[in-house]
Amino acid sequence: MPSLQRRRLLALLSGAGLAGAGLLGLPRPAAAEGGRPLVAAASDLQFVLPELAAAFEAETGAAVELTFGSSGNIARQIRQGAPYQLYLSADEDYVLGLARDGFTRGEGRLYALGRLALLVPAGSPLEADGSLADLAAALRDGRVTRFAIANPEHAPYGRRAEEALRHAGLWQAIRPRLVLGENVAQAAQFAVSGNAQGGLVAHSLALAPRIAARGESALVPAEWHSPLRQRMVLLKEAGAVAGRFHDYLSTPAAQATLGRNGFVLPEGTR
Amino acid sequence: MDWTALWLSLRLAGLTVLILLPIGIAAGRWLAYRDFAGKGFAEALVALPLVLPPTVFGYYLLVAFGAASPIGRFWEAAVGGQLVFTFEGLLLASIVFNLPFAIQPMQRGFEAIPAEVRAAAACCGLSPWRALLKVELPLAWPGVLTAMVLSFAHTLGEFGIVLMVGGSIPGETRTVAIAIYDRVQAFDDAGAGRMSALLLVISLTTIALTYAFSRRLGRRLG
Amino acid sequence: MSAVAGLEVELEQAGPIPLAAAFSCAPGEVLALVGPSGSGKSTILRSIAGTYRPRGGSIRVGGACWFSAGEGIFVPPHRRAVGMVFQSYALFPHMSALGNLVIAMGQRPAPEREARARGLLELVHLAGLEDRRPAELSGGQQQRVAVARALAREPKVLLLDEPFSAVDKATRQRLYREIAELRRGLEMPVVLVTHDLEEAAMLADRMTVLHRGRTLQTGTPEEVTTRPVSAGVARLVGLRNLFEGRLAAPRQADGKATLDWAGLVLETAGGLEGAPGRPVTWVVPDGFVVLHRRDRPSRGEHENPIPGIVDTLLVIGQTAHLTLRPDHDPRLPIHFSVPLHVARRNAVARGVAATVSLLSEGIHAVAPTPEAQEAGG
Repeated sequence: MPSLQRRRLLALLSGAGLAGAGLLGLPRPAAAEGGRPLVAAASDLQFVLPELAAAFEAETGAAVELTFGSSGNIARQIRQGAPYQLYLSADEDYVLGLARDGFTRGEGRLYALGRLALLVPAGSPLEADGSLADLAAALRDGRVTRFAIANPEHAPYGRRAEEALRHAGLWQAIRPRLVLGENVAQAAQFAVSGNAQGGLVAHSLALAPRIAARGESALVPAEWHSPLRQRMVLLKEAGAVAGRFHDYLSTPAAQATLGRNGFVLPEGTR
Repeated sequence: MDWTALWLSLRLAGLTVLILLPIGIAAGRWLAYRDFAGKGFAEALVALPLVLPPTVFGYYLLVAFGAASPIGRFWEAAVGGQLVFTFEGLLLASIVFNLPFAIQPMQRGFEAIPAEVRAAAACCGLSPWRALLKVELPLAWPGVLTAMVLSFAHTLGEFGIVLMVGGSIPGETRTVAIAIYDRVQAFDDAGAGRMSALLLVISLTTIALTYAFSRRLGRRLG
Repeated sequence: MSAVAGLEVELEQAGPIPLAAAFSCAPGEVLALVGPSGSGKSTILRSIAGTYRPRGGSIRVGGACWFSAGEGIFVPPHRRAVGMVFQSYALFPHMSALGNLVIAMGQRPAPEREARARGLLELVHLAGLEDRRPAELSGGQQQRVAVARALAREPKVLLLDEPFSAVDKATRQRLYREIAELRRGLEMPVVLVTHDLEEAAMLADRMTVLHRGRTLQTGTPEEVTTRPVSAGVARLVGLRNLFEGRLAAPRQADGKATLDWAGLVLETAGGLEGAPGRPVTWVVPDGFVVLHRRDRPSRGEHENPIPGIVDTLLVIGQTAHLTLRPDHDPRLPIHFSVPLHVARRNAVARGVAATVSLLSEGIHAVAPTPEAQEAGG
């Protein structure tokens, strides 16, 4: 092979080799002990938890890594060995189930009570009527073709939405028009994007500035569904930082932040 | 702008391509040159990821590599960690899922070499290895290049499997595709838009550069 | 009898491609493998090159064993010093003509290779075209590069697989001359595969006729085309004047034998074996059939005169190809050809009566056809 071609081949090969070494050798950001512990939280905490984490970091100098999803999904992942250290669920049943099966350290702590809200985007034919009377009317006269809730199978807010709709006698009528979000944040996204005429989502999400700016919301009576007892728990492999964050979330400052963002405080219940 | 996620995606795609290069060449060459009973079945197996929905694949990967499975347990014993929810697990899934993108174009590339040219290489005294380097690869390189580009681009865009097998662990399995999904759910349209645009530019640039380079190389090699 | 440095081939296998071939080729000799498509010629060539591994047999070159099924020896092709010219030339398209040769010179130290390659290209009259890619060369030029590349290997055996089939006729004639010149300087056995008998006759010292992988006859082209050992070979070498007769007298006083051909008595060149009355399959090549001149009728002057009626007349170029239906047995016509002017001068036309002579030295008995054996018993 002429020397020019050989040199080019050599350059190509060494480039590939370096790339390979670089790709493999680069240290991965540690997601476990020593590094930033992973906190998995229900999607209704999408906006408030980053605020809490920032405050925690400001106060202690330690940082955590946040990831959100539906409570049921996260619980499933934990069972499959996901490397989370702290789990904030929107439904304590998931936490208690994990505790029973030995994935957690104890049964954890109630950190908040959640509320369900009706969210309608700006320009929607629906009214933000928490009693769902307008929704009932809208179903009858065809104003609503799509309505968003979280997936009742694994999202606590979805289940509560179903309960509330059943209580209002609207479940059968609205079922064919439902759009199911993977988690309650996606349901809220569907609701305000204009692709649906409205949805039943977490009150905490409806209050968030980004969402509140795009629509109106109204609380749904808490008696219409089973309570959203939101429980958090440290997992087996949790490290020191995760533990401190867990404790921080029960401090008055953190509780006040939660209260401001649409959560009802647990009042000392366990 | 989630640079960690971007770097993760590039790493995943890059490593997938590097590892698939020798595998693809070996398998593509073997399938191109040999005829054997059950070849059709082997080719169908290779092509399977093309028709299988990523979630089906993801499901079987979870079953096969999950903590309860023999492979998962072996991995745990050998390495001390999980296969699911880790970068290594994603890489493994990515390699398997990209097999048809790597093997099929390479197979076509090698098939395009006339059998007499290969026989001529042997008759000219070239050992199989030297024949591969000096005759076969220079002639089959368009197939090899296409395979690499396709695998890279495909991995960059992979979503379903990453979601099922990887979770969305920042720094570990939250690729840029997942991060975009995350941002949309967090109502961060600006963030999602920025990352999407960047991914688009990277993909387009990669492909354009590759084709431009291949044209120039093609002119030289004829 | 094989010379120490020559090629000895023996191949046996039942399938997938049937082979039952045995032949040898001395250094400097050109042996043509001739046969119809599917007769296994290319397979045999590939076996010698090593790109095909037969189930049974052996291949020895210059005393070294390249393949022996019995002893489990198989030298891979890249370790055999074999030079092969492929039907499609199989030049490496991504390399120049020079490059194609240099890469085949692994047996030489690197500094020497380019100079030797240039020398070889000059030998095949391609000086000045060293840097051209195969796509930039004509068919005839590519063929020469292929030959030069085969020689670059300094092979112990040179193999040519229908090397002229892809070339037009004019170029082919030129290449024949060049190859004929070239081969004088070659000291290795050369095996040429072709389905063209004329090509074989022109270029080869000896010729082997193959059918379905079986070697039927090996000999000089002249031997094979005039004295085929069987009716099968006769047909394969294009002899159409194949007839059945009976032995009349095995050996006469003058050493000749006579045949009884459906009532007509023919004299043959040499004696024949066997008892009178035994069936004989015999053949006479076209060249030994002579047309009698119309203006000089002969009676008994020429050997074996056969009167008959001209059945077909086909003019191709300056030659008239004729068949004659003999009066005594109109079943099988005699094929022969004459220059066109001779045909005209003798007013030969379809349906016209004519007489030919079968020269006795051309009449040759072959092994009987299976049908004759059955019929005659």
